[in-house]
Amino acid sequence: MINLVYNEMIKIVRKKRLLIIAAIIAVLVALFTYAQLKRVQSIQEQLGTTDWRAQLQQQIIDTQNRLNSSGLSEEWRKFLQIRLQQQQYYLDHDINPSAPGAPTFMRMFAENSIDLFIPLMVMVIAADLVSSEASGGTIKLLLTRPVKRWKILLSKYIAMILSVSFILLSLGALSYLISGVVFGFSGWTLPLLTGFSVHGEELDTANVHLISQWKYLLMEFGLVWFVSLVVGTLTFMLSVLMRSTAAVMGIMLAALISGAILSTMVSSWESAKYLFMVNLRLTDYVSGMAPPINGMTLGFSMTVLAVWGLAALIISFIVFTKRDVY
Amino acid sequence: MKVNVVKIIAALAIFSSGLWMAGLGLAIKDQFFYEASSPVKKISLENVAEEKEDGFHIVALGDSLTRGTGDESGKGYVGYVADELQTKTKQTIRVKNLAIKGQRSAGLVSQLQQIEVQRQIKQADIILMTIGGNDLFQSGEALSNFSLERMNQAKADYLRNLHTIFKTIRHLNPDAVVFYISLYNPFNDLTDAKTTSAVVREWNFQSAEAAANYPNIIAVPTFDLFELNVNDYLYSDKFHPNKEGYKLIGERVASLITFTEGDEKND
Repeated sequence: MINLVYNEMIKIVRKKRLLIIAAIIAVLVALFTYAQLKRVQSIQEQLGTTDWRAQLQQQIIDTQNRLNSSGLSEEWRKFLQIRLQQQQYYLDHDINPSAPGAPTFMRMFAENSIDLFIPLMVMVIAADLVSSEASGGTIKLLLTRPVKRWKILLSKYIAMILSVSFILLSLGALSYLISGVVFGFSGWTLPLLTGFSVHGEELDTANVHLISQWKYLLMEFGLVWFVSLVVGTLTFMLSVLMRSTAAVMGIMLAALISGAILSTMVSSWESAKYLFMVNLRLTDYVSGMAPPINGMTLGFSMTVLAVWGLAALIISFIVFTKRDVY
Repeated sequence: MKVNVVKIIAALAIFSSGLWMAGLGLAIKDQFFYEASSPVKKISLENVAEEKEDGFHIVALGDSLTRGTGDESGKGYVGYVADELQTKTKQTIRVKNLAIKGQRSAGLVSQLQQIEVQRQIKQADIILMTIGGNDLFQSGEALSNFSLERMNQAKADYLRNLHTIFKTIRHLNPDAVVFYISLYNPFNDLTDAKTTSAVVREWNFQSAEAAANYPNIIAVPTFDLFELNVNDYLYSDKFHPNKEGYKLIGERVASLITFTEGDEKND
């Protein structure tokens, strides 16, 4: 079994996909680092202060002013209201939610890429794991070996998991190293708050507690990993079902992008919460953002994702072991 | 060589799988099974009051007038005051505009309870404020639908709040000069201008009386600025000043502020 997995890893590494993904991540991180730097500078210039408390206070005032203007959509108003209460909570407890430093950048990068960018990178690896063998015809060679079919598929699946872990590791390392050059490498032990829960338009702070940034980051990467695995498994299933890698990618892309669009506009379509793609932003629950649909919680989203993932896994194995290959 | 790369990547991948799994476990433990123990410590004014940046600090409090609603450049009178002062002094002018559109006196009273707001007031060199416009006009309803009884009730509440506001500011910062910018009558060219002007004048008089109870609180009149040609100085909502109107207010306030000898610009 180990040999089979190793064999699959060789295939993935030979295709140079991991290298390309790492390069894409590096370029994006550099871009975002620059953008973030510009943003920090413009805020300082605009407010004429480097004092984070004054900056946060000004953001709160700005949000309050925006809330008082007419013509805000219901979703946007709710989002602003929750964020306002959270910012006030941070300020009242003397904790800077965005202290400059590479770990803070890593956290923001992971939070912002969890629902689209990271799934896309995972997709690049997982999309052709099986379908390329089918379209290239090598599947016949693979299946003529005296190895059970489920073992072959399992080895591919494990290789997918390993690649996903490796992608996240390079994401973490690259975002730390590149942004650290600009923002400095320290900040692992800064305190952050977690445990917010959202009830309608109210932010419940009963369970809020302090946690060091390194722990917070580890938690967030754990959740990103979970999301990546589910997306990877779904892509894997499509890759088993279809011979064309392009079709696999097309379907996954459509699903992921529709998820990003849907989650900004589904608050009135309650049953949309059972779709996997509106549940991808798990890190929002840790940081205490308003969920896209009322009543969604971390437990709910993880369950939905797990069900989708398990179903996809079962389908892949059944189809792969039963299918006629010719 | 190729094989070694694969081995390294595989080893890193296995290691990171373990790491992420631990992270996921930690997230589940922390988010689902957290037992509230010690509540997070609240900020206290004593701990943060000392951290101050250099420069001349202006804190602006109040409602949409201080916010600058109606000025397309977004400055408002606070911006013009700051611009004007910057020509007079070598110090950096630092403006903290804490005004909120539509805020009434009761809202300002509760805003002044926030620690960070208190800290900024404590550090202020001067304080600019407008309040009461929304108490009086109640978003434009009170004057068109005039009822003396309701008006007097609103005024009594407002004056009580105004006293609390002045008292709080003086308690936090006994030295900074407070410029309380009083109201003008935006309805000056309408048919019942006589009635509305009388109401605004009376309102301003009572506010100035309140201010007079405290040291260094200056009630700055604006009523006269808008008395002639009111429409030239109003924004298209016929309520807030436009750019020119804000400039008038800004010039008037700036003319009241002088610097001590050493800080003046010699040019």
